Amino acid sequence: MARLRPGREVVVVGVGLHPFGRFPGKDLSELALEAVVESLKDAGVRWRDIPIAYFGHVYYQGMSLGETTLSKLGLTGVPIVNVENACSSGSTAFWQAYWGITTGMYDMALAFGAEKVPRGPVTVTPDDAPERYIGGDHMMAGYALRARRYMEETGAPVTALAQISVKARQNAALNPYAHRKDTYSLEEVLQSRLVADPLTLYQCCPTSEGAAAAVLCARDALRGYGIDASRAVSVAAAVLTSGEYNGRGADHSAFSPYRTEPAALQAYEMSGLGPEDVDLCQVHDAATIGELQQIESLHLTPFGEAWQATVEGRTALTGDIPVNTDGGLLAMGHPFGASGIRMIHETVTQLRQEAGPRQVARARVGVAQCSGAGDVTTVHILKK
Amino acid sequence: MSVPESVDPRRLRITNEAGTEGTLIGFRCRECGVSVFGPATFCQACTSFELEAADLGRVGTLFSYTIVRIPPAGWPGAVPYVLGQVELPDGPQVLAEVIDCEHSALAIGMPVELAIEAVGAPAASGGGSGGADKLVYKWRPAGA
Repeated sequence: MARLRPGREVVVVGVGLHPFGRFPGKDLSELALEAVVESLKDAGVRWRDIPIAYFGHVYYQGMSLGETTLSKLGLTGVPIVNVENACSSGSTAFWQAYWGITTGMYDMALAFGAEKVPRGPVTVTPDDAPERYIGGDHMMAGYALRARRYMEETGAPVTALAQISVKARQNAALNPYAHRKDTYSLEEVLQSRLVADPLTLYQCCPTSEGAAAAVLCARDALRGYGIDASRAVSVAAAVLTSGEYNGRGADHSAFSPYRTEPAALQAYEMSGLGPEDVDLCQVHDAATIGELQQIESLHLTPFGEAWQATVEGRTALTGDIPVNTDGGLLAMGHPFGASGIRMIHETVTQLRQEAGPRQVARARVGVAQCSGAGDVTTVHILKK
Repeated sequence: MSVPESVDPRRLRITNEAGTEGTLIGFRCRECGVSVFGPATFCQACTSFELEAADLGRVGTLFSYTIVRIPPAGWPGAVPYVLGQVELPDGPQVLAEVIDCEHSALAIGMPVELAIEAVGAPAASGGGSGGADKLVYKWRPAGA
C-alpha cells in the first residue's frame, strides 16, 4: 500500500447540484453548468478564480466535454481534465482536485460530474465482448449474486434488504433534488418486478440524469480569495483504490464485495479518525445489498451484521449511524459521473447543518464512499 | 457447417472436433501458487511474471446464483436465465449460465460441471447481429 503524503489542508468551500431525474430537454452541458454555477455561487468565487477543473463522466457524448461545457462560462485557458472511472468518475475527479491542492500545485480547484445514463440494465463491456455471450455482464445480476451469498452466510432475510429501499425513499422524500420522492412500504418493495432475484426493481437504483459540483480550496488560501471560512468543510481523507486480487477473480463486484475495506483503512489512517468518529455516511447503494457491504467494509458494523443494524433503525436519519441521508443511489438515482460528488454535496450540507428536515442531530464527521466497475473505490472523509 | 470458435480461447479450450467438450484454462504462479482464470500477463496476486499455463478443469461448486428476469441489452439467450458464480477447485470463480436445472433445485454448494453450447451473437447496440456464433462455457448440475 502506497504511503499517502498530504500537504496543505484542503477544504470544500462550495457545492452545487442539478436535480437528479430525467431531463429530455437539456443536454449534458446544461445539466453540468447549473451545478457548476451553483457551486461557484456557494463558494462566493468567480469562474476566473478557478485554476483547474476535473470533470467526471462516463457515456460517450463527444470528446472534451469538460472543455466544451466550461467554455460557456468563459475561456480562461486553465487546464481541464476529463475523468472516466465508471461509477466513481465524479468522486475520482474530486480526489484529483484534492491531491492537486494538498500537494501545492493549485490553491483552488473545481470538481464536477454529469451524466445522462441510458435506460435499461447497465453493462460495462463492448457489444461483442465474451461476457455478452456468457451473460455475466449485468450490473444488477452481480449485486444479486452478492445478495444471495450474503443472505446464505448471515441469515439476513430479504425483508432486511427491502428495508434499505424503504429508508432510502423516506430520506429522499425530504430532498427536493431526488429522482424518486414517493415513499413505499416493505411489501411494495418486495412485490415490485423481479430484476434478478432476490433483487426486485425497487431494490435497484434508477438510471438517471443529473450533475454535481464542488469547489475545493487550500485553507491557507481562503483569505486571499475572500472566502467565508466559517462554512468551509475540511477534507480529512481522500483515497482512491483499484482491485486487489483475492484469488477469486477481478473486474466483477461479485468476486470482491468487500473491496472497499482497504480504501477505508487507508482513509482512517490518513485522517487519524476511526469508525467510532463517523457521524453519518453516504455509501454506494446501487442495489440494497451494496449498502450493507459498504457499511461493513467501513467497519461501522461488524461483518455480517449491517442487516441487523438496518432492521433496528440504526441507519435511519434518527439512528446512531445514519446512512445515505439524501436517499442514496436508490432514490436519488445514479448519473454515474455525478453520483460521487452528489455524496460530497450531501456530506457538506449535513456538516454545515444546512440539511433542513433531513438534518442528522450530530454531524461533525461524514464519510462518502463510491464504487465503480473495474474494482474502483473511493473513500473521502469530511470533517467540520 | 464448421464448428464455432471458443467464445474466448484464453478461457475455454475446446478439446474435441465436435465442439462439445473442453476445459477451462488460465495461469498458475510459480512463485506464490495462486491460480488465475483466463488471461494474465503477471500474477494478479504477487505480480511475478513466472506464470505457467494451467488447466483449471471442468467442475466446481455453486458459490452463488441469481435468476435474471430482465437481461442485458442484446442478450442472445432465453429469459429468464440462471447466472451462476462457481468456485473452481483451484480457487478462481467463474460466472456463467447454469442450465438443465430447475430453479427450485438451485442451491449454494451444489456441485456443477462444464457444459458447452453454441450461442448466437448478441445484438449490437445499434441493432442487428454483432457477429458469428461462439462456443460458450456454461454450468449444469454434476452428473445431470
